[in-house]
Parts: sequence; structure tokens; C-alpha cells
Amino acid sequence: MALASVLGFKSNETFNRSLQCEKTDANIDEICPKLNIENIAQFITLPPYADPAKYLKMVNESVDRVRIQFLKGTTTLAFKFRNGVIVAVDSRATAGGFIASGEVKKVIEINPYLLGTMAGGAADCAFWERVLARHCRIYELRNKEKISVAAASKILVNMIFEYRGMGLSMGTMIVGWDKRGPGLYMVSDDGERITDNMFSVGSGSIYAYSILDASYKYEMSTNDAIDLARRAIVHAAHRDAASGNIVRIYHMKETGWEKIEEKDTNDYMYQYREDKTMNF
Amino acid sequence: MGDDIMNYNGGVAVAMKGKECVAIACDKRYGVQNKTIATNFTKIYQYGDYCFVAFCGLATDVQTVAQRLKFRTNLYELREQRKLKPNVLYNMLTNLLYERRFGPYFIFTLVIGLDPKTGETFVYDSDNIGAVSDNVNLATVGTASDYIFGLGELFFKPNMNPDELFEATSQSLLNGVDRDSASGWGAVVYVVEKDKVTVRELKGRQD
Repeated sequence: MALASVLGFKSNETFNRSLQCEKTDANIDEICPKLNIENIAQFITLPPYADPAKYLKMVNESVDRVRIQFLKGTTTLAFKFRNGVIVAVDSRATAGGFIASGEVKKVIEINPYLLGTMAGGAADCAFWERVLARHCRIYELRNKEKISVAAASKILVNMIFEYRGMGLSMGTMIVGWDKRGPGLYMVSDDGERITDNMFSVGSGSIYAYSILDASYKYEMSTNDAIDLARRAIVHAAHRDAASGNIVRIYHMKETGWEKIEEKDTNDYMYQYREDKTMNF
Repeated sequence: MGDDIMNYNGGVAVAMKGKECVAIACDKRYGVQNKTIATNFTKIYQYGDYCFVAFCGLATDVQTVAQRLKFRTNLYELREQRKLKPNVLYNMLTNLLYERRFGPYFIFTLVIGLDPKTGETFVYDSDNIGAVSDNVNLATVGTASDYIFGLGELFFKPNMNPDELFEATSQSLLNGVDRDSASGWGAVVYVVEKDKVTVRELKGRQD
């Protein structure tokens, strides 16, 4: 065990046996091996045909059967500024025209100093970012320091690359604060990993980008940055049919992330109509 | 939204009957698949003092059929020298749509009407090639029609007065469109009574 060896703990037979109290069989490791970093592939059964991505495309678009719903209809954004990183997301999930949910949590709290956003397949993002959380914790225990955002995003993209072409759908942004300052990486299912000051992902990203590009300044105050992120999501929610419902905003600071707010976009729309920054 | 032509622009309309009054309501969105272009595109057109038609579906056909029907009703009023009745209107609409039986317009329609002398109410629902339903209590067309039907059946009571009718119609519409990404962005409701027509704009979700 990583923690035990870090602490210089010498385990003995009885201690090991008490830890493994759920084991009743000496050969249990072969029958149901423990999930480790190296053997994740054993736990994710691969489909028994040649081109999983092509088949998944069929299931995704088929109208009459159960459809795997990919949250590409969404708006998520993140940008760096003087005081850290602001992350803002909407909360709508659509399956074709039907609004399946208006309360999806599209920000994944990996650990108190790392956030990931969800766009594409919800299960894909949630699962792989949880595996990433495990890697980050083990890194922290082994190396006695927090993992950098660059390293965390690299671990994620390397895991995803193993499954390239198999139909994973993820357009996630990894946000954190490490000794180099605020970090923002965009990671996607085709193995792309890029860093920049501002990203937006999803069908509503085009509308969010226009608001962000118009007023973004690196030297903004925190309140201005939060207001800009909020406006961008609200405008995207208004114009994009597949985005809307609730806007959630997080602020990544040196001390970790803080959830700023979780409010209904519709209330903001009417407020912006009053002050004439929105016209409808 | 897929490649379904009826979902290309989106939109919805609902009609309900009351006691000597009828209401028709529609949303105001004009969009192209996911993109919302305008929020002032109403789908209800008036064809007489007490006759209204709502068209839902492909926006270009909504406008074309509305205008072609207006042409025919204008000609009727000039030739016959009398005002249009609801059943005449729905017959004209059926014929107009069936003329395009093998290359149809991509719209579904609702016709409502009231006879000011007798207070008799009419609500008809038509598909895109002119199959008209009987005079029904509640009818809905459009992308959110399934969701609005459920709510409409819940809120409908026989012999409602105009205020109750307005409430029932507007609540079914507003809550139904909140489950559909292609419709909403405001709504307008027409309540037709024997002596007046009241138009109200509803404040709906703008996302």
C-alpha cells in the first residue's frame, strides 16, 4: 500500500488478513482482481465487434430504440484571469428535442483543487475523471506534493488515448491551481490536449465565445469575471435550444475551488432585458 | 434535433374550448435546429372576426399556407358578400392541403372559431394533408404537442369561463414547452368570446 510504505509502516500477516476481511478465498485475486491503474482494461469489457465507434454512432442516432444520450448539446466555459480561473456551465440535457433533465451537474469536482467539466458522454466524463481523481491522490501520497494541472490532464488524455476510435465522447476542461499558477487544459476524446486562457465547449459555445471575446481582459476583477461568465452562459442558454435551465459558476483560487452560485438562467435573462443588455 | 423536417424550425400551438368561448395559444420561437433566430414569430393568423388558424411546422410553409389561405378567404368574402364561418374555413383549408397530397406542406394546423349569435364553439385539428378531426375540446400541434396534451387533459374542465380557459390554456402551453428544446421563448394567447377577442402575451422561459 502506498500510504503504508510512505509512512514506513511494516505490515504483518494479521494486519493484512484483517484488511482483506472480505476475502474468503486465497485465489480471489484471480477470480475478481482489484482495480488498479494498470488493469483498468480488464474491468471495462470491450464490445465483441470490430468497429465500436461506428456501432455506437448507430445507437446514438437511432430514433426508435433506446438512445445513448451524449451531452454535446451543452455550454461549458472556463477562462483564466488575474485571480485564478472561472468555470461556468449550464445544466440542460436533451435527447433529440426532449429536455431530459434541467438539473445536470456538469462540473465534476475531482478534488478540492481540481475541477473537470462535462460535455459529450456524461458517463464517460464522470467515470474517467473519477479514475483521474484516484491517480491524483496516489501521486500526492507518493510525492508529498499536489499534482500539477499539466500532469493531471496528461494522465487523463493518456487514459483516453487507449480507447481512441472506440466511441468515447468527452470534451472536458481540466481546471486547477498549481505552483505555476492557474491551469486550464482542454482534453477531448480524440486525444487532444491543449492549453490556453479561454475555452468553451458544446453546442452553445459559439454564443458564449462571442460574449467572452467582447469583454474579456486578463486583468479583470473577480466580480467582473464572474459576471462575464454568467452573461456568456445566459446568452448561450437564450440562443441555443440545447442549453439552459441553471447556470453554475465555480472560481478556482490558490486555496482551491469555491462554488460561487447556482441560479436559474431565466431570471437573469429578464434582469438583462431590464438593463437593456439583452433584447427579446 | 436530428433531420426530421417537422423539428427543423420547431413551434407549438394549443386550442381549448370553454363555455361560449375558445382559446388558442402558440409559442413565439423562430429557430433553425438548435439556433434561435427570433422570438417574435407567432403562428396564429386571423381569418374573420371569430376565426383563427394556427400553423406549426416548417416556417416557410407556415407563411405560405397562411398567405394562400388568406387569398382564398378574401376571394370568398368578395364573391359571397358575407363573412367566413369556421366550418367554411376548415373546409377551404382541407382542400388547400389536399391539393398538395403527393408533395405536402410540412405543417399541422389548428382551426378555432365561434358563432357570435349562438355561442357555438369550434376547435378542429388537421394533419398536413387535410384530415380534419371532429369538433374537439382540446387540440395541440407542434414539437411539444405530446407534453402539452398531457397537461391539457389535466387542466381541461367542461364549460369553463373565459378566465379559467385562459389559465388552463396558458399553463398547459408554458409548462409543456419547458420540456421541449425547439419551442418556447414566450407565448401569445387569443381568447375569443361572443363580443370580444382578448390577446395576451405570456412571459415564458427564454431558454
